[in-house]
Amino acid sequence: MKKNTIPALIILLLSLIAALGSQTFLGACVHEDGSFGACHWACRAILGEGALLAVLALMALAVKRARFGLYLAMIPASLLGLLTPGVLIGLCKMPTMRCRMLTQPAMTILFGVMLVAALIGALLSRRGEK
Amino acid sequence: MGTANLPLKNLLRRPGRTAALVLLTALLAASVFGGSVVVGSLRRGLESLEARLGADIIVMPAEAESKVSFKNMLLQGTTGAFYMDASVLDAVRGAQGVELAAPQTFLASLKADCCAIKVQIIGIDPDADFTVKPWIDERYARDLGDMEVAVGCKVTAGVGETLKIYEQYTHVVAKLAETGTGLDTAVYCNMDTMQKLLAAAEEKGVSHRISSGSDVISAVYVKVRDGFDVGQVNNWLNGHIRKVTAVRARSMFTDVSDSLSGIARAARALIGAVWALALAILLVAFAMMIHERRREFAVLRLLGVSRRGLRGEILAETALCGLAGALIGVGVAALGVFPFTTLIETKLGLPYLTPNAGTLLRLAVGTVISTLLIGLLAGAWAAARLSRTDPGTTLREGA
Repeated sequence: MKKNTIPALIILLLSLIAALGSQTFLGACVHEDGSFGACHWACRAILGEGALLAVLALMALAVKRARFGLYLAMIPASLLGLLTPGVLIGLCKMPTMRCRMLTQPAMTILFGVMLVAALIGALLSRRGEK
Repeated sequence: MGTANLPLKNLLRRPGRTAALVLLTALLAASVFGGSVVVGSLRRGLESLEARLGADIIVMPAEAESKVSFKNMLLQGTTGAFYMDASVLDAVRGAQGVELAAPQTFLASLKADCCAIKVQIIGIDPDADFTVKPWIDERYARDLGDMEVAVGCKVTAGVGETLKIYEQYTHVVAKLAETGTGLDTAVYCNMDTMQKLLAAAEEKGVSHRISSGSDVISAVYVKVRDGFDVGQVNNWLNGHIRKVTAVRARSMFTDVSDSLSGIARAARALIGAVWALALAILLVAFAMMIHERRREFAVLRLLGVSRRGLRGEILAETALCGLAGALIGVGVAALGVFPFTTLIETKLGLPYLTPNAGTLLRLAVGTVISTLLIGLLAGAWAAARLSRTDPGTTLREGA
């Protein structure tokens, strides 16, 4: 296994956790009256961003020659995921709500690690191309 | 031949073995640091609750405990309300041994503006209060005026904002310091404001009326005069005032303290088990590593590296692995604990207040040093075994 595939594997795993988690164990709650808050739509956006990163990671694993460019594409995609809950799409205001105490910190960590992994992947792939 | 960079080169040459050692020490460091932070936060939370409550006895309606757990209101911010006749306050004040008696009135809001959650509203008498007022005084020097509220640190509204409760607009004048308890999610106002809110709640169908009249309070916080026995005063209140229950504040803390001790014991046992396991695995790992590399070490000895130099080489490798593992472990534990503080507090249902930065730094440094020491202990044992072997014999024995 090449060194520069390890970040793609990490991103694949974490993006699947983010995408599936945002709809299940890391997702926002449904309000008592059955309505959805902004946090619900933030989780929908995370589902898409996670899926996008998973596809990019799979492509990076499969297409050796495009690896560097794919890692570069993963950087803004991870940043987008990082900023989605709470910055780009609002969450509940009370810190004791599930979206604030679970979804937001979990997604910050997951997309933060993916961002670092994408940067390392780009660096390693660039070295490999020389 | 220069041997200064040899430990680092050896570690980099075998990334799999090095990663396994680093992972092991990281697990050790993460368990120690994470466990210590959680236990430390629980201890600080309990201290904060004791300091915040400041009363010896709490008098509440007899049915209060069956209606809503008063302890849960304090610890988890569960909303609830129960009422008794306001004349109970005079009866409590008349009891022998009572130095201070301060009333509080509770009201659970409907959904707050922001999200589907209720907020506990607590009315205090600023002239008599000795529990909440010192806390408010830290942030707001004046008494709470009419329709002015002070909010716990976990309530969304900030100073200067307006909070709508039962269609009544209140003005937020202070945001209180964190206590790590259910008090952080409550809203505090004076008794006049509370009367208005109770009337507004009544219009919304949330009744607070009791059979004896409409002038109601929810609890009386009692401070016992020096020289009097808290237990005896508590018994007197229970025996002489009808339809109320007097509870010693200390007894509530005892339950919390017992839960805390249980968690601390479990955390210590877990940390101890991880330490024992990690030490055993490190000893085995280093013994295997030394055995695997015995010819390499024998050649180094024949090339002129002293026994002491060889021991230094092994210890340097151990120290590098230990340091990397300890730093990674502390980092991972920090990522797993600090962002999820509110979640941990909610799940444990106990007062939880993260230690200050100085204490956290000391904990982190202590964890790194202790993890490093355990790695060095395993390395020293392996190095001692190696120094007893004759290099010539090792090379003659073959592979």
